Amino acid sequence: MLDLLQNSIDAFNNSHPLIRFCIYLSLLFIATIALLLVYLKNLRDRLRIKGRIEATYQKKYESDLIEYLYAGDDKNINAEQQKIVDYLKQCGENRLKRKLIIATLLKLKNEISGETADAIQNLYYKTGFINSATSKLKSKKWDSVARAIRELTLFEIKEAHDEIIQLINHPKKEVRNEIQKYLVQLFRFDGLEFLNVLENPLSELDQIQLLEILNKFNNMEVPDMNNWLRSTNNSVISFTLKLAKIYNQYGAKDEIIALFNHPNTEIRIEAINVVNHLGIFEAVEILKEDYFTRTLEEQIAFFKMMEEMSMPDDVSFIREHIQHDNFHIRISVMKIMNLITVDSDNTFKVNTVTPDFTIDKDLTIAS
Amino acid sequence: MNLTKKIVLAEDNSILSKLLQFKLEKEGYHLLIATNGKEAVDLIEDNNPDMILTDIMMPFISGLEVISHVRNKLEMKTPIVVFSSAGQEEMVLNAFNLGATDFMSKPFSPNELIIRIKRLMQ
Repeated sequence: MLDLLQNSIDAFNNSHPLIRFCIYLSLLFIATIALLLVYLKNLRDRLRIKGRIEATYQKKYESDLIEYLYAGDDKNINAEQQKIVDYLKQCGENRLKRKLIIATLLKLKNEISGETADAIQNLYYKTGFINSATSKLKSKKWDSVARAIRELTLFEIKEAHDEIIQLINHPKKEVRNEIQKYLVQLFRFDGLEFLNVLENPLSELDQIQLLEILNKFNNMEVPDMNNWLRSTNNSVISFTLKLAKIYNQYGAKDEIIALFNHPNTEIRIEAINVVNHLGIFEAVEILKEDYFTRTLEEQIAFFKMMEEMSMPDDVSFIREHIQHDNFHIRISVMKIMNLITVDSDNTFKVNTVTPDFTIDKDLTIAS
Repeated sequence: MNLTKKIVLAEDNSILSKLLQFKLEKEGYHLLIATNGKEAVDLIEDNNPDMILTDIMMPFISGLEVISHVRNKLEMKTPIVVFSSAGQEEMVLNAFNLGATDFMSKPFSPNELIIRIKRLMQ
């Protein structure tokens, strides 16, 4: 055995430097893999232990919560409930335990409504978790701030409004997003007041999320949108145009028409689309007047609009574009001409697309 | 003869199950809890309950499959109340097509659930 080892060492010493380098490299890899295996095993064990601890505590907190909810029927809490409150308050000083308690409260709060949900909210106040969440709003760590706002949103804590609104122009978009969701989720359309002071862009995803939240609520009074349509923040205007379209804000027509002269092309096009949706007929003449000064995209949007809003008076204008270079415009012109046929005796006929229902009444252009 | 009415609850949210257990046992019902569809099917087959409460989304076997199993394979006429969440309207329709008796949209009031159970048990 010793001979074999000695021979191996001799062979190694006499070998080519390249082979020696490869052997050193292999030994290094083997050592690294062994260390990694030890580390991974250790990590897995720690995660398993942490998981077991979490599961145990979670079970305990679930029992405590149920006990709290059924310990008394009165509005005022009794001694048994107070004991649970004190215990949870004490546990809340530990970061992991606090996280587990909050998760337990939300796990039930999200599934139920009525008195029990109110009791959970009440417990959130009594345990003082609300204070720790609001104090985190002043944290220098953006993720702590975002998490605190999310927690306040989930527990529907309206009292934190004044502190939260001050952070609306926070440098981190994640924080801004949480604030926007907090405001709209809790204050609905009134929460959109942040649009007055928002300086950063509102991303498409943010806009979709806010519209989705608003969509959940019915019978809401839609606020005046004129200020937002005059905003210096283009994303605010874009979002407001979406709101105007979804909630049929015909009352904002003057401001929407004014956007035809906005420096941003996308906003001008979106304004044309909203005008089309709302059926603002006075906008047609305005767009026709400066049609030739507009970009091709706006011209396409205009003709798309005319597919829905063209009147007999517009026929001559539309017909001029039947040989337009752009395919989309030509198609729109043909669609419009197919809908309105002007006869040789200066009468026109509105053609319907449904064969079973035809309007055979001829009207003069003057009518 | 045991006259306590048996209810099978199929719900993967442990704390909601515990809450409903307290509520329903206080009202005099015997609650059998399953944390997934598979357990629910076993409990239904073994205990022949007077009512079934089931969530739609569950591990292993969904609430829809539980309803289908009860109505088509076991051919039981036991009332079935389905719990649905926002955005599961299509699934609720499927549940009714499969033979669900009633549904409650989450978040729901436990008191309202008890009223519905009492009405369906009559």
